[in-house]
Amino acid sequence: MFNKILIANRGEIALRVIRTAREQGIQTVAVYSEADACALHTRLADEAIALGGFMPSESYLDMDKILAAAKKTGAEAIHPGYGFLSENAEFARRVVKAGMAWIGPPPDAITQMGDKIVSRQIMKAANVPMVPGMTEPAADAAVARAAADEMGYPVMLKAAAGGGGKGIRIVHKPEELESAFKTASGEALAGFGDGRMYVERYLVNTRHIEIQVVFDAHGNGVHYGERECSMQRRHQKLVEECPSPAVSVAMREEMGAAALRAGAAVNYEGAGTVEFLASGDEFFFLEMNTRLQVEHPVTEMVTGIDLVWEQLRAAAGEQLGYGQDAIHMRGHSIEVRLNAEDPSNNYLPSIGTIGNVRIPGGPWVRFDSGIYPNMEVGLNYDPMLGKLIVWAPDRMQAIARMRRSLEELNIGGVRTSAVAGLAVMNDKGFQEGEFHTQYLEQMDLQEPASERDKVVAAATAMRRWKQANRAALSPRDADRLGWLARGRVGQASHPHIAGSTAGFSREGSRS
Amino acid sequence: MKYFVNVNGRPIEVEIVDRAGKTVVTIEGERADFSYEEVDHEGQVALVMDECGYAVSVAGKGNDYHVTLAGHAYAVEIEDERERAAHAAARDRGKGGGLVKAVMPGVVVELCVAEGDVVTEGQPLLILEAMKMQNEIGAPSEGRVKRILCNAGEAVSAGAKLVELEALPDA
Repeated sequence: MFNKILIANRGEIALRVIRTAREQGIQTVAVYSEADACALHTRLADEAIALGGFMPSESYLDMDKILAAAKKTGAEAIHPGYGFLSENAEFARRVVKAGMAWIGPPPDAITQMGDKIVSRQIMKAANVPMVPGMTEPAADAAVARAAADEMGYPVMLKAAAGGGGKGIRIVHKPEELESAFKTASGEALAGFGDGRMYVERYLVNTRHIEIQVVFDAHGNGVHYGERECSMQRRHQKLVEECPSPAVSVAMREEMGAAALRAGAAVNYEGAGTVEFLASGDEFFFLEMNTRLQVEHPVTEMVTGIDLVWEQLRAAAGEQLGYGQDAIHMRGHSIEVRLNAEDPSNNYLPSIGTIGNVRIPGGPWVRFDSGIYPNMEVGLNYDPMLGKLIVWAPDRMQAIARMRRSLEELNIGGVRTSAVAGLAVMNDKGFQEGEFHTQYLEQMDLQEPASERDKVVAAATAMRRWKQANRAALSPRDADRLGWLARGRVGQASHPHIAGSTAGFSREGSRS
Repeated sequence: MKYFVNVNGRPIEVEIVDRAGKTVVTIEGERADFSYEEVDHEGQVALVMDECGYAVSVAGKGNDYHVTLAGHAYAVEIEDERERAAHAAARDRGKGGGLVKAVMPGVVVELCVAEGDVVTEGQPLLILEAMKMQNEIGAPSEGRVKRILCNAGEAVSAGAKLVELEALPDA
């Protein structure tokens, strides 16, 4: 096993890796951007190397700086987390070439699975079920139109080099295709430098269900059951659970076997996720994510397996040491992602300074997050602040536990998706397990009238009244507070947020 | 002092007065037994109302607050009696139309309207890319596009003026 690893990431996933490493007696090296000088991963790792800069391109995406940091600290392996360089085959190759271990799959597997066209061809050969669609990408709208006319509408346009919900369009009618192709292709060209699009049949009322797998370097692989990820909007997941209420034991076995075939076909090593589109008891290969997923904790809660530890063991060349019959799923786990966004306002991104944090506790509640008081939430990084995860013996108790935890949670300073998570927990369709990938977008997230309105009104009025009284009774004190407030505003405005927004985060995709 | 509070668009009247050193709170005409303690300087409040406990967070200042209570979020607008009169007068003057501003920094990807266009409420005016997502910015009310104050491809800061609408002449 390694003595020291470097984590080329930030936020909750950097902490997640540090935690397992520390528990296993492995030294950790954090890298951090100028914006993350106070971040938890910077503080909690054994060593921290400054990369400088505010933009991802000058820090967490800068391969040279990260490799230099690894060399300087004597790290024996690099864990890329998710996003950023995690699915960058070139970086993986450079890590290996520099004499270190890459805590991820072989670079060739990343390349093969990262290209939607190539991966489809390999999956077809490996007998993994596929959605009817093109095997070659369409370079222009006319080619896409011809293919779509042949397979029947609705169809989905997908960027050949896409991910993270960008460059995807659903087309219901032939006449909508050309304009959809143009916008999606433009998005793909801007985001990934490749405007080719791929057309496939679009199945309605589908679920997004994925299988977690781990392979060692000796040809052994197991799957850890499925994760239900259908509660998403604009193809960004919000609520994930394990197991799925729509998957039977037989279907799980079939899907697991297909996922293992998929991994074996590209000589996979380490942890990975095979995503499927499911409709009824049919399922079709979507893509393979060649890294740890955001939602991996629900699998950990139900199987009792530390997936980061399995990643480290695989990268160190250890044998898996157990077979499929050793994997048992027990109880039910749910995760809610906490994004800085306003669900009541079309999920518009929200920026601000974190304050007023209250973290839920109690039995079987897990909070994976990198937030801390006074943290600036800006536009340079992914808006995900963290994840709330619960476990319970069965699904209804898990829903009740998640609802209770979300009611305890408070994250001040920004709007978060927690309210949408709570609405999902309270939704009858979700409770009955009857939902699909469009379900969340159709949910009404406006807060219904309730007796709480009066409490809210009274508390706000009282706060205003107190503020007015303080100002009136103690003008000098009010002056001083005003001065402090102005000083704070000055501090809070980072140059990269206040002025122009010349550059935007171009992190790698994640889902 | 009388407060006119809008909780997610629902109006509620609250009156707070000091009577012989005791703060008396009346909500929608009903007096409440009330204990209000500020836990920190960031808006955490311990509230006991009619012997029910609540952990409330009240953030904001002036007329706009963001309140969370038991996992639910509330956009709250509040006016006291004096402000209500002043605001009502101001609203009468600026009926219809108005400026559409950027709610957050971003890049204008595409303009969907031209000057002189008549738009309906909610009709997309432009697409603003922020945090890797493209967001449609809709018209807050019906009106005519008087001026467009940004260009496609331009980076705009929060609060930047994007489009000016003017009221349609009464039909």
